[in-house]
Amino acid sequence: MVKIEAVIKSLSGAEVDYVIVGGVALNAHSSGYITFDFDCCYSRSGPNLKRIIEALFSHNPRPRNFPDELPFVFDISTLRNGTNFTLETNIGKIDLLGEISGIGDYQAVLAHSEIVRLYGFDVKILSIEGLIKAKRAAGRTKDLLVLPELEALREALSDEEE
Amino acid sequence: MKRTPEEKLLNPRPGSKIAAAQEFGIDLTLLVGQLRLTPEERLNELQSAMESLEDFAKQAKLARKKTENKWSKSKL
Repeated sequence: MVKIEAVIKSLSGAEVDYVIVGGVALNAHSSGYITFDFDCCYSRSGPNLKRIIEALFSHNPRPRNFPDELPFVFDISTLRNGTNFTLETNIGKIDLLGEISGIGDYQAVLAHSEIVRLYGFDVKILSIEGLIKAKRAAGRTKDLLVLPELEALREALSDEEE
Repeated sequence: MKRTPEEKLLNPRPGSKIAAAQEFGIDLTLLVGQLRLTPEERLNELQSAMESLEDFAKQAKLARKKTENKWSKSKL
């Protein structure tokens, strides 16, 4: 189980460029979806990779289901050699995603984000519209099941009458 | 006159996405409750739900083990 406040404080405290996506973003928008991990899309710029290392290093990140006997080094070259990382840490499961299906890379995700105040930080979360695009593109049953709720929320919060 | 999000959710117009969600099985009153909270309060509720579910899963696992032990002892 992820400790949401601790993750946000670690990433935002280190000034990491990231956008919360997935279940945590759904909940921030009022969905009742239950998730146990923290998904975020991150900028792959060199300085940002350094900030990610700074933010998460002390939480002992390792790829999930990675054999204990094998060494894992969480450094810039590791982050440069991959795009998406599903990590187990002392503060829970954190997925670092370089791109989001249906939207694109960090810059595209950023364009679909909004800022909310969380635990003392201005944090970017994927908008309802962005979540709808991403869930449609992902296309798995668990993604499609949240669409009716997201579409209802979008309609309720819209200035236009339904 | 424009309706508030809460009014829209509590009295969905036929044919709307909100009505479709209700037909799909979404409890719109829960959505109304969530909309009254701040994003941080919503994440705190999610955290509590995660903790409760994890605790429930642990208890269920323990109970299953106890039942299995009881059965294996009674077979002896």
